[in-house]
Amino acid sequence: MTEPSPATADAVEGRRIRRAFGGVQALADASFVAARGEIHALVGENGAGKSTMIKVLSGTLRPDAGTVRVMGIQAPSATPGWARAHGVGTVFQELTVLPWLSVAENLLLLDPPTGPTGLVRRRELVPRATEVLAEYGMESVDPRELVANLSLAQRQVVEIVRTLRRDPDVLFLDEPTAALAEREVAWLHALVRAARDRGRCVVFTSHRWREVEALADRITVFRNGCEVTTRDRLTEAEAVRLMTGRTIDRLYPAVPSAVPSGSRGSRTGGTAPPPAAPAPALEVRDLVAPGVHGVSLLLRPGEILGIGGLSGQGQRELFQALFGALRTVSGQVLRDGVPVRIRRPADAIGHGIALVPEDRKTEGLLLPMSVRDNLTLSILGRIARFGMVAPTRERTAVDGMIGRLAIGTDRPGAQPVGTLSGGNQQKVLLGRWLLTRADVLLLYDVTRGVDVGTKHDIYRLIVELAAEGKALLLCSSETEEVAHLSHRVLVLRRGRVVADLSGGPVDPEAIVAASLRGDDA
Amino acid sequence: MLTQQASLLLSLVMLTATVLTYAGLYLARQGIFPTTFDWTNVVNHSLPLALAAVGQGIVVLTRGLDLSIGGMVDLTNGLAATRLTGDPRLDGLWILLILLVGAAGGLVNGLLVARARLQPILVTIATLAIYQGLALWVLPTPGGQVPGGLTTVLANPDAPTGLVWVAAVAAAWFAFRRTRVGAGIVALGNDPEAAHASGLPVLRLTVIAYVASGFFAAAAGLFLAATTTAGDAVAGNVFVLTSIAAVVLGGISFFGGRGSLLGAVAGAFTLTLVVNVLFFAGIDPLYQSFYQGLFLIAAVLLGNAAGRLARRAR
Amino acid sequence: MTEVRPVVEVPTPPRPSRRGDRSGAKVLIAFGVAAAIIVVGQLRNPGFGSWDGIRAILVIASFTGFVVAGQTLVVLVGGIDLSVPWTLNAAAILLTTTAAGHQSRVLYAVVAALGAGLAIGLVNGIGTAYLGVPAVVMTLGVNGVMEGLTLGLSQGMTCRSCSAYAPDAVRTAVNGQVLGVPGDLLLWLGVIALTTVALSRSTFGRRVYAVGNNPWAAYLAGIGVRRLTVVLYMLSGLFAALAGIALVGYSGQPTLGMGDPFLFQSIAAIVIGGVSVLGGRGNPLGPVAGCVTLVALLSLLRAESMPEWGRNVLYGALILAILLLYGRERRPD
Repeated sequence: MTEPSPATADAVEGRRIRRAFGGVQALADASFVAARGEIHALVGENGAGKSTMIKVLSGTLRPDAGTVRVMGIQAPSATPGWARAHGVGTVFQELTVLPWLSVAENLLLLDPPTGPTGLVRRRELVPRATEVLAEYGMESVDPRELVANLSLAQRQVVEIVRTLRRDPDVLFLDEPTAALAEREVAWLHALVRAARDRGRCVVFTSHRWREVEALADRITVFRNGCEVTTRDRLTEAEAVRLMTGRTIDRLYPAVPSAVPSGSRGSRTGGTAPPPAAPAPALEVRDLVAPGVHGVSLLLRPGEILGIGGLSGQGQRELFQALFGALRTVSGQVLRDGVPVRIRRPADAIGHGIALVPEDRKTEGLLLPMSVRDNLTLSILGRIARFGMVAPTRERTAVDGMIGRLAIGTDRPGAQPVGTLSGGNQQKVLLGRWLLTRADVLLLYDVTRGVDVGTKHDIYRLIVELAAEGKALLLCSSETEEVAHLSHRVLVLRRGRVVADLSGGPVDPEAIVAASLRGDDA
Repeated sequence: MLTQQASLLLSLVMLTATVLTYAGLYLARQGIFPTTFDWTNVVNHSLPLALAAVGQGIVVLTRGLDLSIGGMVDLTNGLAATRLTGDPRLDGLWILLILLVGAAGGLVNGLLVARARLQPILVTIATLAIYQGLALWVLPTPGGQVPGGLTTVLANPDAPTGLVWVAAVAAAWFAFRRTRVGAGIVALGNDPEAAHASGLPVLRLTVIAYVASGFFAAAAGLFLAATTTAGDAVAGNVFVLTSIAAVVLGGISFFGGRGSLLGAVAGAFTLTLVVNVLFFAGIDPLYQSFYQGLFLIAAVLLGNAAGRLARRAR
Repeated sequence: MTEVRPVVEVPTPPRPSRRGDRSGAKVLIAFGVAAAIIVVGQLRNPGFGSWDGIRAILVIASFTGFVVAGQTLVVLVGGIDLSVPWTLNAAAILLTTTAAGHQSRVLYAVVAALGAGLAIGLVNGIGTAYLGVPAVVMTLGVNGVMEGLTLGLSQGMTCRSCSAYAPDAVRTAVNGQVLGVPGDLLLWLGVIALTTVALSRSTFGRRVYAVGNNPWAAYLAGIGVRRLTVVLYMLSGLFAALAGIALVGYSGQPTLGMGDPFLFQSIAAIVIGGVSVLGGRGNPLGPVAGCVTLVALLSLLRAESMPEWGRNVLYGALILAILLLYGRERRPD
């Protein structure tokens, strides 16, 4: 299996890789080459095959056909063990840190300090781990802490340190900064550049164009399970065109500058009194919950209110508290001017509030269940008679939503939603909430991990929904999105509103500035 | 790391409380504290369950379950009662063989769970039936004869030397926890997929866990034979559920990856003592299961509450 | 607790099976195996496969079948009910001692017995769903509690009304025949129809599968996960009680320990029927076939005059064979 390794500059090479999942051909004769001492970005839409390719190249996934070479040596039917032994390191979105072990135990999992008897010296675990963390500039992480008690970003940091410690010749990163805060992103970028300068090869995927531009020495575009081109330089527009095959000249649809303020019209005919100003769709007064320290806001029908700020400043908690998924300590929530009590998601849904959560795979969709079942899960009462599902009523609702959102499935009643692409999955999730006819939509990072084409569709949908009179609360890990799609933006810091940016199109720089301003208590 | 040790601490506290309650009730009823004879009895009667609980605990740490422990205890108990003759050299060989039988049974379980990737609860329900059947084949009716030598060594009726065996198990756990295998098994239970992706030899570790379980089940059968001095092919069946109860009382989480085998031992002792406590409290023995069940549930609720307090205190 | 999470831990969401749900295939296989066993039995012991023979097998299977109906519901959401043995036993004894030979009290007695099942299920459900006790432990503990209560209150079945027979109405309902079909089988058929229709076509069924797949996601979708879990455990208790009533109607008098074999049998039947013990998938008809398979196999082995030890070994081997046949549970590639 091992051939004499030629002095090659190629760190990793995949040739004519084929890989299918069920009926879906994820990789169709795809090839890829990355050299030593380079940072190589793999970009493409969801379902284009880049994550699959990375998994095949790193030995995590077995290809159906094709060869993989690492540092010139051909990989046998690759297993993670072989790859690891031959200098491959990986950091994927599915973290592999073990939750009920401490940070120290995780870091030193494969090479713990041992004594003369060969037994692990548990007393030395923490000191050794502290050294390691200091080496990587991450002293803020407590080596004694159980990983389960760390935030997602910290867990990812531990995972990264654990992998980088072994100084792999080839490092594969799949959306590495998705969960990280700005400071940690900069830290990781520095580490990646340092690795490259040492002659290592780094291959990464990302949906964030800024990141790709900043880091990559070379960029490979994937589409439909195959590579399209590899370039040293690529503009975003060119990349989008190569990834999607179409030109999207304007990424963000035009958002009407003013919130449509029309009243909903009088309900009674005849000489009705002039309609009063419509009550805000959602009003929040001094909401206090874990991570939320007194937030007030007003959301009008037809308005898109953006929630900005650095990640982890309480945005997620705010959304969950408004939806009843997090217990509120105090404060009031009013729907259409009427105070309501929301203690569980079912209450929120009853009051016409919907939350599209952060992680569609673990918090939203039921992957083995059909598209149809996922779509109608929250409106079961409406499509049933005497507790039994009425097939025609259901089909009408389902077909209607599939059509409206252009969800790519031809057998909604049979196809498990887990076999759809990420973009389509997100559409199904959105469809479920649109079917509930909620007037207030809480959209939390609704375009995360979604390809450019679908992103565009979702942006258009958001603007459409606002035009229809729905009230939207929007939060996103990409400040650009929040800036370009919102009428107004509230910036959160430490669970409090520190800035209210309104009056005309919002400047992303202003959001960032407000997020960083004032490091007071 | 406090949370890691918290569950062990709690199980030890429960054991101490039970011991004190037992001693107190005994004093109230008999006017004196429990004698050496009484303590010896407690130790000897707890040992079989303690060993079975250790085996179950190892498997539960990997996020699995071993229902076949009961059948293996049946089988080895029967083998001990029929094959041991009193000749020390021959018996020594047979004891080794019996332990091997346990390990072999565990190997079957382990391979089915790890390589064939079947659910542990289902595999071990099937092997439970198989081992029970084999036990009946070896010893169709209760009887057999256990040589006195075995009893003296394992379950000495005159002095609580059984505690030596407990110490041996404790030492073994201490060392095991610090080996690559031991640390790996605990890591495995955390998250099997993550452990695999982290480079741990998941297959090997799983098989080892089940082999260990079978081995300890066999040891439990031997100790049971030593204590009861006779064989009974169904005497081990109760161990299926009591070993699970002991593991629970010992603070080992069913979701895997957390807990100490010492807790399992403590849990076993606690469970056995509870029976004595009930007796000395004058509880109608017919109601015994009622209190045991209640105790089990209360123990878990207590553990949950303590865990929540510990988290809030941080 | 800061987050209002349903108390079930959410493991990594299962990968969807490649070719959709294979539950249907497993049901067919299970029925196929049952049929095969009956055929073999008929060949080896003529009369085994006759209508009388099959009817006998079905009646014996029905008792497990009642238990299985409830156990399936609980397993579908990733739980398990280990309190079945003494729920069954308690209900049986409650029936006979409440009626205590007075035929007029039959309705009262049946309601009491079924009510006991519901109450036990309620306790199981609350402990599991609201108090965070793992299902294995909770139901195990409740089983012990019921054992103690039953033994204690009946003083080991020596109480005054303990020697009573089941009320005549119940005995007739169970053993009496309509067009040659015992009432017990008709009852079982009714239970099967009810659960199958409920799980496949009702909103209740959708919610059950959703919770079984991912309790947190189901909660966020507005489903009352904890409430549903409690309901399912109550139904499991109800069906276990029903089994007890049917059993005692069949045999006349309750005995101590009559419920013990049904626990493992119900789990085995569910396995054979292809319902995943992890929750979220499976067709309730599969376990029905599983019941028949198990009882048919046991009858066959008994007819073969196989000694008890051999029966045990074969029983276990069969379950392993079926497990291997159905293929592996999910595993990353």
